[in-house]
Amino acid sequence: MTGRIVEWGIFAAVVAAGVAVAIFGSGYYAQTLFTATMLILLAVGWNVISGFTGYVSFGQVSFFGLGAYVAALVMIHMAAPWYVAAPVAALAGIIVALPLGLIMLRLNGIFFALGMFGLARIMEIIASSLGITGGPMGTTVPVAQSVNECALVMVLAAAAALIASYRLMRSRLGLRLMAIRDDAVAAEASGVNTWTIKVVAFCISAGIAAIGGSLYVWNVGYLDPSSAFTGTIELQTILIVLTGGIGTVWGPLIGGIVIAALSTALWARFPMEEQIVLGALIMFIAVAMPGGLMSAVSRLGWLKRAPIWGPPVDPTTLPPVATDEATSGAPAAREPVLSCRGLGIRFGGVVAVKDVDVTAYPAEMLAIIGPNGAGKSTLFNLISSFALPSVGEVSFAGHKVSGLPAHALARRGIARTFQTSRLFPLLTVWETVLLAASSLYATRADAVAATTRILAEVRLLDHWAEYPDTLPPGRQRLLEIARALALKPRVLLLDEAMAGMSAQEIERVHAALRHAMARGTAVIAIEHVLPAIAPLARRVQVLDFGQTIAEGIPRQVLSNPTVIEAYMGADYEEPAHGGA
Amino acid sequence: MIATFVALLILGLLWGGVYLLMAEGLNLIYGVMKVVNLAHGDFIVLGGLVAFSLFGVFHITPLLSFPLAALLLFGIGALVQVGVLERITVTGPEGELRTLLATFGLSYVVANASFLLWGSQFQSIPYMQGALQFGAVAVPEGLLVSSLCAFAVALLVHLWLTATMTGRSVHATAQSSLGAAACGLNVRRIRMVTFAIGSAMAGGAGALVIALIPFQTSSGGDLTVQAFTLIALGGLGNYLGAWLAAELLGLTEVFTQYYFGSDAASAVVYAVFIGVLVFRPQGLLGRAGRV
Repeated sequence: MTGRIVEWGIFAAVVAAGVAVAIFGSGYYAQTLFTATMLILLAVGWNVISGFTGYVSFGQVSFFGLGAYVAALVMIHMAAPWYVAAPVAALAGIIVALPLGLIMLRLNGIFFALGMFGLARIMEIIASSLGITGGPMGTTVPVAQSVNECALVMVLAAAAALIASYRLMRSRLGLRLMAIRDDAVAAEASGVNTWTIKVVAFCISAGIAAIGGSLYVWNVGYLDPSSAFTGTIELQTILIVLTGGIGTVWGPLIGGIVIAALSTALWARFPMEEQIVLGALIMFIAVAMPGGLMSAVSRLGWLKRAPIWGPPVDPTTLPPVATDEATSGAPAAREPVLSCRGLGIRFGGVVAVKDVDVTAYPAEMLAIIGPNGAGKSTLFNLISSFALPSVGEVSFAGHKVSGLPAHALARRGIARTFQTSRLFPLLTVWETVLLAASSLYATRADAVAATTRILAEVRLLDHWAEYPDTLPPGRQRLLEIARALALKPRVLLLDEAMAGMSAQEIERVHAALRHAMARGTAVIAIEHVLPAIAPLARRVQVLDFGQTIAEGIPRQVLSNPTVIEAYMGADYEEPAHGGA
Repeated sequence: MIATFVALLILGLLWGGVYLLMAEGLNLIYGVMKVVNLAHGDFIVLGGLVAFSLFGVFHITPLLSFPLAALLLFGIGALVQVGVLERITVTGPEGELRTLLATFGLSYVVANASFLLWGSQFQSIPYMQGALQFGAVAVPEGLLVSSLCAFAVALLVHLWLTATMTGRSVHATAQSSLGAAACGLNVRRIRMVTFAIGSAMAGGAGALVIALIPFQTSSGGDLTVQAFTLIALGGLGNYLGAWLAAELLGLTEVFTQYYFGSDAASAVVYAVFIGVLVFRPQGLLGRAGRV
């Protein structure tokens, strides 16, 4: 807690110093301060999409320029003051970013990065060919009364942006952004609508950049396409975030101060070589110091990110779980909760899954076994909508759900784990489970209570503030199961969840699964090793070459000759004296 | 009418060859290393400006400076790969993004170093300004020669990739770096050679193209976008696709220029760029025909 106080104390001191220079500084100092804080503001914006969300943009200057043009138009044609022009510019940035984000954030990172790179050039061409803003020659804009006024506004804007970015980072949205950055597939499985969330982050980042642009024209009083969309601003914005520490709240501030000092010094002595040095610095940081200065600072134990919405509450103080209709006890009649009919998928010429039916009943476990390459994991992908079946359909709780996005299924109650565990390297144990719980619960208190309960149940609560890579492999698996359980699933898909676990850890998983089944959850478990699952499974289904070859109660299925053949080969003979 | 159409068709196809030459190095590098070199356009400009100086000072024609510029960029490319990109050891999305950031920095280093040496004016080489008459069709000599060189280089690289042992090793590395390493290939060396050859192709392209299109030191970014557009339209890393895309762009530009003027023609590449992102991010041919 004292760490937080020191953190904000330093921040307040820095802002106060900035305000003092803005008010009392000479024109030169005020102008330098204006430029530096403008770049910090832009860096905060870039950090939202590229740092928190992990989508590197090389065209943030597009929104800077857009904001500058919109503000210029508003100030010229409507004779509006800067404090009207800036919000209008921000709004314009968001409106333009929305369709762009919807298109470009479907694609992988390279397309987004290059798409933004091209966008800055397209915007420059558009600005040049529009007559209303003076075309390539530019236009004059009503300028601010004094540089000091500009600097003061910009200092406050940058400070506000930093506080907003801190709040964002501590919010549900921030948690989702970081999850997407770390592993978008696992985020989707935790009920996060990754596409929408990325677009939201992109719009926020565009709005911030547009405010920077609007205050810039107000400061210089002149606007032309090549200065509005200049690569110099892009270069400095990215360099600041990288220097300070990408994906951290204070990175843009620290980097902004360092880079402002450096580029002011360079500009004074080597104006021609400045950009070469700054470009080389980006190369150096990308190669040798990817975490920036913040990684050095946090290695000393300072400015560490505290887990979002932590610490956990004391589990003994939580009220008992209210049972609700959907999950209470076993229903009167044994009705299937999930039924898949004739599922099939082919990849090119390979038929991975062919005409498979799967039925799962509440409060019991179905084990799916089969040799390597039998199509078990592919089947899970089809059920949980991570792959679209070529034929067949999935019905869940009486509704057809094939074709729904994976995150929607996760929220409706089909949760899953992955064959090779997919945890978020930079989210703590607490945040990993909280992410899934916050997909389900609207209020913070409910999400925190649910997360606490689940972590207590799998006995990971003591490790709440640790990162997944510090946990032994068995506990990592356990954490993944806990994340799935946080979605309060009606169907839980476990993909070899107990591989590599110690007997003790398997016992913990069994306890958690029994608990979930007692609440009515249907579990479908893929396993290689049947003993890990046999005590819990009511039915077993055997897959081979993408088809169901046997189905029934465990003992019966395991003595089925077709199953033995699939595992052992056709000429396998039962050992003479029944050795294990 | 028909003569005009045929003339435009031939011009478009020849320009397509030139565009292919400018994009192919980027394609080769992406195919093998999954890296988009954001300094690619700056490499082209650097090659062109070197040819410009060689012509101005020693009267060396672009055809001769083509191998010289390629050699210089080969060296720079090898240096960049060994000194910078090879040192980014993480893989996956993080490695990809860090590599992109490093080449982003590189593009500023190259462009501004060129600026220190050559200033910011547009430069060109007055070479092979005549035209050859084929019946009713007049074809600019420079364009014809550049385009033929482009096809020759494309063919040579193709032969190198498919018929030589080194080329096959490159092929193997493109498909699986780990697998190639497990077979005893020196994948570090292969990546170095690939990046160097990709850069050399950029430099060579610049030396030829500066006789056709004037360059300034800040043209690099536009050329990078153009080259990326072509290889994305072709399907990243796809050779046949890139060639088709280049011809398509050449034809579209030439016809647009004739019917709608040169302003419209210069926007064509961006229109194609947007079209690729919106409609066809997987490229014209999808996965078929990848390196």
